[in-house]
Amino acid sequence: MLRILLAKDLRRAWRNPLPWLINLIVPLAMTALLGLVFGGSSEGGALGRIRFAVVDEDQSVLSDFLRGAVNQGQGAKYLDPVFMERADALKLVNANKISAVLIIETNFMRNYFTGREPVSLELIKNPAEAINPAMLEELLGAVVTALNEVSRNFHSAFPDWQPVFEGKADYHRVSILIDQAGDKLKSVKQFINPPLVGYEKEEPADATNNAVGGHPAASSAGGNRQSDMTGLFSYLLLGMSGMFLLFLGQNGMTDLHRELRKRTFERYQTMHQQLWPFILGKIVFAVVMLLICSAVMLGGGGLVFQIHWQNPLALAALVAGYSCFVAALFAVLVALVPDERRAGVLNNIAAMALGLVGGCAFPPSQLPEFLRDHITPLMPTYWFANTARNLQSGGGDGPWGFVLLKLVLCAVFLTVLAAWLFRRKFKTGLRG
Amino acid sequence: MVPYNRSMSMLSVERLTKSFGAIRAVETVSFEVRPGEIYGLLGPNGAGKTTTISMISGLLKPDAGEVSVAGTPFWSDPQKAKRIMGVVPQELAIYEELTGRENLEFWGRMAGLSAGDARARTAELLAALTLTDRAEDAVKTYSGGMKRRINLGCALLHHPQLLLLDEPTVGIDPQARLNILEFIRNLRAAGTAILYTTHYLEEAETLCQRIGIIDHGRLLAEGTLAELQDRLGGDRLFALEADFKNASPDTWAGFRERFRVIQKSEKQLVVAAIGVRDPADCLKELLGLPVHVENVTLKRPSLNDVFLQLTGRELRE
Repeated sequence: MLRILLAKDLRRAWRNPLPWLINLIVPLAMTALLGLVFGGSSEGGALGRIRFAVVDEDQSVLSDFLRGAVNQGQGAKYLDPVFMERADALKLVNANKISAVLIIETNFMRNYFTGREPVSLELIKNPAEAINPAMLEELLGAVVTALNEVSRNFHSAFPDWQPVFEGKADYHRVSILIDQAGDKLKSVKQFINPPLVGYEKEEPADATNNAVGGHPAASSAGGNRQSDMTGLFSYLLLGMSGMFLLFLGQNGMTDLHRELRKRTFERYQTMHQQLWPFILGKIVFAVVMLLICSAVMLGGGGLVFQIHWQNPLALAALVAGYSCFVAALFAVLVALVPDERRAGVLNNIAAMALGLVGGCAFPPSQLPEFLRDHITPLMPTYWFANTARNLQSGGGDGPWGFVLLKLVLCAVFLTVLAAWLFRRKFKTGLRG
Repeated sequence: MVPYNRSMSMLSVERLTKSFGAIRAVETVSFEVRPGEIYGLLGPNGAGKTTTISMISGLLKPDAGEVSVAGTPFWSDPQKAKRIMGVVPQELAIYEELTGRENLEFWGRMAGLSAGDARARTAELLAALTLTDRAEDAVKTYSGGMKRRINLGCALLHHPQLLLLDEPTVGIDPQARLNILEFIRNLRAAGTAILYTTHYLEEAETLCQRIGIIDHGRLLAEGTLAELQDRLGGDRLFALEADFKNASPDTWAGFRERFRVIQKSEKQLVVAAIGVRDPADCLKELLGLPVHVENVTLKRPSLNDVFLQLTGRELRE
């Protein structure tokens, strides 16, 4: 019977695809929009160049060196600096034309070499953007770390180097200083190659699971930036999929509302005493449609963002389990609120709430403490999004099978609940 | 009239009662439908016809009373009862995106037919409903009458012995209605027991062997058309047109002993003669009443007159 019910629903969806297409266009448009915003199709990687302003108020050799570093080689591949005065730069950032302003303050080089005053670089981020300024901040953090390390190891030689940077030393003096620096580096060679000390960015366990990109051992220098970016997109895409599958599931189950309104569900009931086959048939139909939509979203998104899905089979199984949960959940909501118009509003709110609290829209670590600690872990939306992100970040294959089982059990429970609720409603005179 | 035999009943409804909150939708309704009989449940909108059919078909559980299908209480084996009956809801419970053939085949499969049987039966029904040439078109392109025919056909795939028809001709043109009524007569001729709800007097009069008149959830009277007409005291009614604004039949000497008042308004008085009497004598007596009668019409009593007498208002109101 399920096959007959499914064939009927698929045929109807094929004959009247508009509602599904509209719902499918939204995530596709969102994916495409993200792709455009982040330059997904740009040459050489999934990330476009970050445009930012550099205000060099020091005008020293060291600041020239910093300017040059961001303007050539690997830096030029990802960064698009423009050099200008502070006032002009601030105007541009206010006009949302650039992602940030880097200010190299007056006496930066002198203070760095003399160590008389703390040295700082100022970064003004564009509040209208989230990703690019954050990446610049991370990059600047790496530069500052490098400058600090140089200062710690070569501070005794700085008085000799200062005239060099001020252009007051001859080549003979420079060659002696380079020799001295080389000797010093030789003494620490065994610590540098191979390095005994690495740099790993660590966050608390919960946050690590949800870290942007999800690469717990990402190298700060010389790491694979593109991998980080595709990790970022896969993180966003999986969360968005979790959210949009809720809305698509709602659309799928709207068909159950139509069956109520058109009395076809009643007609079925005049032939069969058991309601669950009809409800299960509708859930299976919704799951099939959700799987098709997931393939479009995750497959299409993967192509746009050049994401290599780390564990596609496990991810597909998770999506299937999550789809079952979503379809069964909305079957229950249809049974609770059979009125189609009222249900539309309530279901939207439910989908939004589940998606947000489950950490689909943004990292759960950003949620209020109570939600994050007590509510979010109970949300099937969180189980899905978190596990899928972990799978993608290589965070282990362990728990996904258990999560899949939990999602399927939830779906079974909700299906039975929906059938029971419908039975009760019909007995008391539900007329759709 | 064939004497009633309980063992002949395909559907037996006894003291069926259903309330929705404070509203008593159906109250102690009892009737039977026999094989090869069309039983009409006649009443205005909101009378309780659909609620009664919903309880008979198992869509609603009655608060009290019992439904038996082919001699077996419905709730002792609902699935068995459902296999025996076919239900045609008042609404068009069909899929508009699917073709007529797909609709029939789908509901045939739902009724338990194999794919082959459903296909064969669909072809039969399409021909019987004169829809073969439109079988491959989506139902949404059909006229109202064609949709009604498909709606009817969807309940017939499994050859039900008992057919429940809930106002199957609502909202269609007279020609389409005649086609459907003819089809239903053929079903009856084939031995199907049919419960037919309607608020159309003409349909009940011309189609049904027995009629139950229902209003405000209560079955007020039932019987053949002749039996119901007899309730008015004969086969003729006299409609008098005059100024009855200040007239009171109770004050007319001997009037209540000779005539039954069916309806009285300011301009009209409808009466039936009590007992078997010569119409000419009756007419003479009526013209002698102490009012200035402008016109008298002699007519056969209709179901509307029966309804009028039972409820005090016309069915069409």
